[in-house]
Amino acid sequence: MKFILIILFSINLSSGTLYEFSSDEDEKRFNSLVKDIRCPKCTAGSLASSNAPVSEDLKIKIAEMINQKKSDEEIKSYVVSRFGTDSLYEPEFNKNTYILWFSPFIFLLISLTIFLFRKRA
Amino acid sequence: MKILLKITVLLIPIIFIFMFFFLLTEKKPYPGADYKEFPIPNFNLESLYESEPLTNVDLRGDYIINIWASWCITCRIEHPYLMNLKNKRIPIIGINYKDERYDAIEWLGRYGDPYDKIIYDFKGLLALDLGVTGAPETFLVHDGVIVAHYQGEINNSIWSDVFDPIIKEKEMFK
Repeated sequence: MKFILIILFSINLSSGTLYEFSSDEDEKRFNSLVKDIRCPKCTAGSLASSNAPVSEDLKIKIAEMINQKKSDEEIKSYVVSRFGTDSLYEPEFNKNTYILWFSPFIFLLISLTIFLFRKRA
Repeated sequence: MKILLKITVLLIPIIFIFMFFFLLTEKKPYPGADYKEFPIPNFNLESLYESEPLTNVDLRGDYIINIWASWCITCRIEHPYLMNLKNKRIPIIGINYKDERYDAIEWLGRYGDPYDKIIYDFKGLLALDLGVTGAPETFLVHDGVIVAHYQGEINNSIWSDVFDPIIKEKEMFK
């Protein structure tokens, strides 16, 4: 019994944190980044949810970059340059994505115009 | 008012037809292929056999980079095609990905070694910088710049559809 207890407790003692950060803020940044970045190997699923070898490597790299005081933008652009624009859950705001970002408003405007036009007619 | 409704009802399917037409006729030869050009990332790793240091300087000219591992089943299927490329005098640089050195050397001893040089990337650091998601993957390199990348097993049809147009365009392997 004692032996089993010793083994059980020593397992807990030997487990440290996987990624080490100098501050809690860095750790928060890491946790939010891995939720925002898609796992390169999976069709759907964030880095946080993935244990694929490449995701583990990418998480280590992100932790490393955070410890090197790199900004979120720098980290995201590293990931995008390696694994493409679809690795970000929130698409970047640039000329390729204008339609994506503005189309809901355009559709809203169109439908409002039609709606008003209908009322008057 | 009714006209407006009729137009809307007609317009919606027309928009969908155009959308599908553009999406389905878009020229994308293979799902695993991309042609983003970028230079070979800096690396400093060991060779598989002699454990000698290997860096970017050791890679020159036109060649292909093949990511493989002894644990990778698809690499075994791809292997005869790589031997075939070797016989056609296409230089192949192997990146041994997340593998045990002993297993990798034994695998090559058993099936044959198609590689000119093999980089031993135990931690997958170079592979991560190349944007590799797993094994096997193959890159086409022209003067130190990656010009094509294919995720998955390469074979005759992939070679002629994905790599050959670029090889002809850039006049590689002459």
